[in-house]
Amino acid sequence: MKYLKTIGLKSNQPAGRGFVFPYDISFASDGKIFAINRGRFKQGWSSIHMLTFDEEWIGDFGRGKPNDNYHFELPIALAFDSKDLLYLTDEALDEIKIFDTEGNFIEKWDAARLGSDLDGPAGITIDSEDFLYVVERNNNRVNKISPDGRSILKWGEFGTSDGQFNMPWGLSLDSENNVYVADWRNDRIQKFTSDGEFISVFGESGYGQGQFNRPSSVVIDSKGNIIVADWGNERIQILNADGSFKMFLHGEATLSKWAVDWFNANKDEFDARQESDLRIKRLPQHLRTPYHVGSQTEHVFFGPVSVKLDSEDRLYITEHSRSRIQIYEQN
Amino acid sequence: MSYEDKLLISHLLRRAGFGATPEELERYISIGYENTVEELLNPNSPENMPNDVIFRLFPEYHAAIGVDAAANWGYRMVTTRCPLEEKLALFWHGVLATACNKLNYPLVGLNQIEMFRQFGFGKFDNILLELSKDPAMIVFLDNQTNHKDAMNENYGREILELFSMGVGNYSEDDIKECARAFTGWTIANADYMELMSQKDSIWPYSRISWHFEYREEDHDDGVKTFLGETGRFNGNDVIEIICKQDATAKFISRHLYNFFVADEVPVPQWNITPPKDPEAINKLTNTYFKDGHDIRSMLRVLFNSDFFKRSQFEKIKSPVELVVGTIRSTGECQTPSIDMIKAVEEANYMGQSILFPPSVEGWHTGEEWITSGSLVNRVNFASDHMSNLDNPGVENIVNHILENNNSPMTPQQVVDNCIEVLGPLEISADTKVSLLEVASKLDRIESNGHSLQQKTIELIQELIRMIVSSKEYQFV
Repeated sequence: MKYLKTIGLKSNQPAGRGFVFPYDISFASDGKIFAINRGRFKQGWSSIHMLTFDEEWIGDFGRGKPNDNYHFELPIALAFDSKDLLYLTDEALDEIKIFDTEGNFIEKWDAARLGSDLDGPAGITIDSEDFLYVVERNNNRVNKISPDGRSILKWGEFGTSDGQFNMPWGLSLDSENNVYVADWRNDRIQKFTSDGEFISVFGESGYGQGQFNRPSSVVIDSKGNIIVADWGNERIQILNADGSFKMFLHGEATLSKWAVDWFNANKDEFDARQESDLRIKRLPQHLRTPYHVGSQTEHVFFGPVSVKLDSEDRLYITEHSRSRIQIYEQN
Repeated sequence: MSYEDKLLISHLLRRAGFGATPEELERYISIGYENTVEELLNPNSPENMPNDVIFRLFPEYHAAIGVDAAANWGYRMVTTRCPLEEKLALFWHGVLATACNKLNYPLVGLNQIEMFRQFGFGKFDNILLELSKDPAMIVFLDNQTNHKDAMNENYGREILELFSMGVGNYSEDDIKECARAFTGWTIANADYMELMSQKDSIWPYSRISWHFEYREEDHDDGVKTFLGETGRFNGNDVIEIICKQDATAKFISRHLYNFFVADEVPVPQWNITPPKDPEAINKLTNTYFKDGHDIRSMLRVLFNSDFFKRSQFEKIKSPVELVVGTIRSTGECQTPSIDMIKAVEEANYMGQSILFPPSVEGWHTGEEWITSGSLVNRVNFASDHMSNLDNPGVENIVNHILENNNSPMTPQQVVDNCIEVLGPLEISADTKVSLLEVASKLDRIESNGHSLQQKTIELIQELIRMIVSSKEYQFV
């Protein structure tokens, strides 16, 4: 994996280019990037932002009043289906909202609509036949949903055994429609068939190779590599298809186009930055956790919450506490 | 165990923590007073609200911006199993005060609190050393602008005046020499970080937390004469000299007494007003020297002393003590929600905004917590939360008040039960008369084994509301 570029910028406004806690992204068929701009809870800023790989700002939608179709409380994950419809999970409102690529609201799926309890819907992924797979944080399970919005299969319960979960977060599919679940509080990745049969498990708690601390997202690339947002360890961990360790990514952010634009208008800060070395050499003992390293070193990951791949197999890592997305390409 | 012993342990838990639920009190009673002191002094596993769960729901806590940082600490105080660790961090936060509104980055304030947790029980020399290297303190008192060829005395002055010896125990020359010793003690990328802080800049990718850097080339390595000693002193050397002083021992002892035992006059008056209990201060001062400036040893002597045990209800609760103590009793905020932000904001309205003390002097405590406005906030907060039966802790309290009563209780008994389960508390005769008047509305207060009469529950709610609204409840 080779670092390519960074897109994004911190914002202090609800609209316009820039992010306030970006949480996940997904790609429309034309490559347009849709990003959850979460905002602060109850701030009323939650929205979906639209931009391109070249950092062209397109627009945003959301920020509706409570009970409005454009209102989001804890939006957490996005996925597109084959018809270019965007699905958004909200784990506070316990619903899935559907929009088109212009940001027009289409439909809402809640427990009544699905014919199934839906408690804390988090990660979402959609297969080539438009079946949805949604993890439910509070029910500790995967909920498989038909293209017309009926829950057809559920698997999982709370626990630490194979097939059990503890506050699962992200999930993804490989080329054979096997389901990979980021089993967040169990610090592992579990693999299932599309019918929910357990296949294997990777990882355990820790900071070493093959160890995780609260993995939040997982994606499988074209070579079968398993790419994990090792959120609590502030890094990305890549495993081979058999689950053996391959490599870490720690982040190498550079200035995005928006960041350069901002510095062009704020020369004093740019000049001070040029005189600085933002790479840390030494930290006191009580500030050496990955969290503290991430907060003190601008270029490394700080809140790497989501990993996604575009049509060219480029890896996008969304960092909620740095308001940016770092992009890597395959070697 | 006698009622007096129960009063004593609950007093200890209020002062060395934020109070106790009935179950917690029972556990501590079972192990005894001295063992409780030792357990509090040696925090093991705090088991507080885990950060991962908070951060997952609220990334704003992960980034620690604004009131979210204060609420994060609030969660620690409310849910911890090691209350003295948090109470001691609160103590140091008030004495070695750093205000995040100047820094524009509360995460560095939270990092300082973490430093207090790590070092707060240990040797005072180490606390001062870590404080001097703490980035939040460095920027708060401008030591990043304290240069070899252009001195800034701010930190050199305050470490003597407010953090160790107190006014009247050093000279202006000592201040200058102290400041010289701390030249070069700065933060990495100081100019850029300071500029971002001054401009409240969040760009391009949000704030960058700070870390300590020592610049030898910017350090004044010349000979200094400080508090009667001469040498090429660096910061750690002057700290060692400071900590040997009688004045330092007395100053820290008096701060510990003020925070844990009884309200003193405000610190600016300490050089003219003697301590309330000079013998107590002497006892703590002796321990300071005997045990190598160890704070844990001083606290052990303090909590086991007669002067502490006699001091029940002699302090006015700080807003944080009142808010956190109430929330711990009601059992609220056990899961991440916006409620903790509301709770810390309430403490702010009462006059204490954690991570944002009004100045480097910290807060003026004791009677100064009480104004006409703050008193209304305090009473309303406690009565609203403690009389809400939807709060699991309140339901638990009501059940404890009524438990083990298969026969009807008299109004006197139910009043006594309320006072005991809520504390036990010390209630004046006048207040008891008022409570009894209300309790006497019911001729018979009954509970049977399977259901509680609604009238009884309503009565108890009313009594709880009256007790937590009373003058006596403002004391700890």
